[in-house]
Amino acid sequence: MAYREEGDGRSFETARAFCTVTESFVQPMRADVCNARYELDPAADCEFYVAPESGSDSTADESESPDADR
Amino acid sequence: MTYDDYLDGKPTVITAALTGGVHGKEAHPDLPETPEEIASAAAACEAAGASVLHLHARRENGERAFSAERFQEVADAVRAATDDAVLQHSTGGTAAPDALRHEPLRTDPAPEMASLDMGPLNRYDRLTSENTRELVASLHAEMKEREIKPELEVFNDGHLNESLSILDDLEDPPYLNFLFGGGTTSPPHPRNLLNRVEALPEGVEFNVIGFGPHQLPMTTQSLLLGGHVRVGLEDNRYYEQGELATNEQLVARAARISEELGRPVATPDQTRELLGLRGR
Repeated sequence: MAYREEGDGRSFETARAFCTVTESFVQPMRADVCNARYELDPAADCEFYVAPESGSDSTADESESPDADR
Repeated sequence: MTYDDYLDGKPTVITAALTGGVHGKEAHPDLPETPEEIASAAAACEAAGASVLHLHARRENGERAFSAERFQEVADAVRAATDDAVLQHSTGGTAAPDALRHEPLRTDPAPEMASLDMGPLNRYDRLTSENTRELVASLHAEMKEREIKPELEVFNDGHLNESLSILDDLEDPPYLNFLFGGGTTSPPHPRNLLNRVEALPEGVEFNVIGFGPHQLPMTTQSLLLGGHVRVGLEDNRYYEQGELATNEQLVARAARISEELGRPVATPDQTRELLGLRGR
């Protein structure tokens, strides 16, 4: 993970979390995993972090991601 | 809350969910994230008919924030930009420690309303927002202490059981919010909302959320059943397929449909009376 202002064909005024595995900007909730906040562990809690090691594909679908935190 | 309420032309409470805490500008370039952006969207939505503003707080880069201080910044900006709308703070927060979940309740003044997630739900492949009964009870207790009206978030039928079990502990009228979408939310289908409404005891007010393309049909059905509606970019980014929306557009559409169906849009004062709120 890196913080970038540009990438994936988009640009932002403030640097945002960019996943170097999926080559895309990540959702803010996912950035908490990337940053290991709140005792989250990227190796255990991020399917994209683990997938390259195991060779498995993620089943996550973020095409329309409802906010589950009200 | 029944079809009779629709026939009687009961005012509709429109809640605008402006930003949320999951997706950000990576998903919608105009999704409000900073206090100034959220306040600007709040003012536009109030003018379009929203009487309740559902608020999350974020860091400057759009990432989630839970501190009372950051919620204070957001709330202060929204209060300054709006006339009289009701502020509703989110207490949701997948993976956030329980102590942090209380922080949004601790602004000065306290929000008139706050969300209360009624049970567990999944996020991504490996995260779960546990929302244990202990946490729900402690959040509810603090809301009562600070005279904050809880909106019970019913993501699925199990959460309806949880909500009904504490009904006697709620101030009148209890206010439940039914969510429809994918994952651990209820399947979005009209018959599922009908079943929910039939299960409600008399005197309970309800609100409806439909995620993504289900926002328009599920909220419209709510209007016909005497319920209230929540719209906004937190739940749905599109006005129609392929066309990104603004918060204001989504509120204006909900207001127009409500009026067309014979239900006037509730003013903030009417909302306070309908939901039994303490005042701004």
